[in-house]
Amino acid sequence: MSPTPSDLAQDPLFQLNLLLWLTQPLPDGGDIHPLLHQQGFNVHAIAPPLPVPLDVRLAAQQARIPVQDSARPDVVLTRERDHRFAFIECKASSFGPDSTTAEQARAFLLIAGPRAPEVLGLTPTQVQDSLLAYLTPEGQRMPLNATLRQLADALIRQQLPSGRSCVLGLYMTKTELGVTVDNIGSAFFSLAEGNHAALRLQENTDPRPLYFIPYDPDLNPTPQERAFCKRVLFERIHSSVLVAVGRATPPTQLPLELNGLLNDAMFGMYALWENRDSARHMRELCRQLMRPLVRAVNTVCAEAVTYDADTGWKFNLATVEQHRQVIDAVSRFSCETLDLRAEPERDLFEKA
Amino acid sequence: MEELSAHKLKRPLVKSHLLEILDGHDQDKSQRVREIFGRQGVELKPLDDTLFLVSDRVEGQIGFLEILRPRLVAVYSPLRSEPFSKWVRQMVMSSAELDYVWLSGLTFGVLWDLVVRLCRPNRFTRLVFTHESIFEVDNPESETDEEEEGDTVTAGTDEDAKEIVERRATSFRLVDRVGVIHERLSQLQNIYSPLYAISQLRFPSPVGRGGHDFYDNGRVTNRSESFRDHRSHLLFVMRIYEQLLKTTEQVAWYSIRESVGLPGQFGKIVGAPVTVRFRESLPQEVFDHWITATFERKRNRFRLWGHPIRLGPTKVQVYGVDRHLWQPLFLELTATGCTAIIPNGTCGNTVHRLVTNIQRYLDPGAVAYIGDKPYTQMVQESASHIRYEPDAE
Repeated sequence: MSPTPSDLAQDPLFQLNLLLWLTQPLPDGGDIHPLLHQQGFNVHAIAPPLPVPLDVRLAAQQARIPVQDSARPDVVLTRERDHRFAFIECKASSFGPDSTTAEQARAFLLIAGPRAPEVLGLTPTQVQDSLLAYLTPEGQRMPLNATLRQLADALIRQQLPSGRSCVLGLYMTKTELGVTVDNIGSAFFSLAEGNHAALRLQENTDPRPLYFIPYDPDLNPTPQERAFCKRVLFERIHSSVLVAVGRATPPTQLPLELNGLLNDAMFGMYALWENRDSARHMRELCRQLMRPLVRAVNTVCAEAVTYDADTGWKFNLATVEQHRQVIDAVSRFSCETLDLRAEPERDLFEKA
Repeated sequence: MEELSAHKLKRPLVKSHLLEILDGHDQDKSQRVREIFGRQGVELKPLDDTLFLVSDRVEGQIGFLEILRPRLVAVYSPLRSEPFSKWVRQMVMSSAELDYVWLSGLTFGVLWDLVVRLCRPNRFTRLVFTHESIFEVDNPESETDEEEEGDTVTAGTDEDAKEIVERRATSFRLVDRVGVIHERLSQLQNIYSPLYAISQLRFPSPVGRGGHDFYDNGRVTNRSESFRDHRSHLLFVMRIYEQLLKTTEQVAWYSIRESVGLPGQFGKIVGAPVTVRFRESLPQEVFDHWITATFERKRNRFRLWGHPIRLGPTKVQVYGVDRHLWQPLFLELTATGCTAIIPNGTCGNTVHRLVTNIQRYLDPGAVAYIGDKPYTQMVQESASHIRYEPDAE
């Protein structure tokens, strides 16, 4: 069963991909209305690791305010013409000022404040204005705004350099999914205060756009959404394998390694992942797909693919006929036959 | 020319076929072209740095090959149309490093505007329009002859044995003076959209009678009195096409690039989606046949591979592969159009083939965009800096 638009509005990976689509150059009149692109915003960075300046951390410690050492906003948007930077975080729901998520939010407030140029590695003239923005379902907008105000007030009381913040609410009607912009967001993004259509909804149709970022192990989506994202990730890895095999010229031995496959599937995002557990989980997922795929190939063409923990997979394409057989076997395989809800096996002997 | 008019040619017409060589990075072009054809059993004997004599191990002498631009070559042959097209088809189909040059109806629309600007209105020209709604019925047979694509006139078949299948099909040629066609064409296109699907266009020769017939798959027939003029027209169109390929790739390629600031830390997404909008929404049945024919049959007109993810009655997403050039391609297909994400490195030809095939088989009046820029504007811009030099090279 397809998720409803309101299920999706709570899903951070859907929120992230929708946000990325809103910054894409698209013709007028389509299903997606790229309202951020139309206001001149584009993506400066995806999930960049941003440290809170050391002196600010020390000051927060002295004031006994818990703050994360660093934080990764989902996206940093910029508008080059007036040097604006928006640090955007996608959230399923609001949180309280005493929750652990509040520590992350304080870090975001400090990162997005007057110290933003330093945090981004830019000069003050290169960052004229900055803001923290959360994207969350419309029902969560008011409580989250209240939490952010409380957190910012507490920081300012201790003379810590908190930035401004706003909350962009994802609302739904029968025909559209859109973004509600408050007065602070309105001034920053040059969008009128109120509702802005972002995605046209159609009856009996899942509104998900093509996913730029198909999977994020750091997020906790519903099992249904996770299975969908895994399917997209597997399709993308599968297509990378087919592309590599198809392009090979026999006789040759084609090496395919985990990192390369994951980078191809994630537009190079995998190389930027610093969380080692997350990266490890991604490698396990890649193996979860590759094991049955390799089995399917070797059933048709014995010993055509071998695996080595150090170097990855090697496709032996000795003759034109074998090349054709391997292409056929890879093409015929489908990850639809796999149990996408099954967790990947841990590889205890994996090298870091 | 008298012989040509009287259909009594004593010597065959020179046919050219324009082909794209898939990027071989920094490899020496001459060496690369020889290797690619060598793998297909074709010897290229160098006559100079860019010109080769072409001999096929089985078929014998074919003609000459010239590297016109770094990624584009022309094969010239005096062979008759049918064996020459068959030979080229075989080369393209059996090599992932070769592709046709794809001139879509939208590209021909811009080239037609150039013909209007460059030729006197009383010159005769010829346009051919081809549109076949092959997905109106689910006919696996129509998908098995992908090698036929590009040929407007197919060989005779046993008509008695053929099942009667009713579907929209437009294929006709229009021969008239440039000025007359120019006056009427856009009005006619508004009335009848298959007239947007231009599949052949004649550039009248500026040095005599006749001209140069460009086909949508890169075939060009010299019906003029001068080979030098013929070659000059090939170079002119290939300069435009090369620029179009470059611009498509520069704009559309998606990748994560380092942001300015501290290198190695921040990744930003760059690229632009390719959007094709249908003039008329596809009926459910046609949409279903399109998806089935394209992704459930190995041989299909669009030469795509992928496992469609159904998101609605008329919405499908495919994280697939261009099965001819072996390039990744992510697609969202709906009854109202198609959105494509082209990962970094995917050849621009994939986009031009997609647009050509959509106009030819789905919606002749479809419009395309790269990002928010109309595809037609991109072709116009590609053409705007190119000088027209008949007989110059």
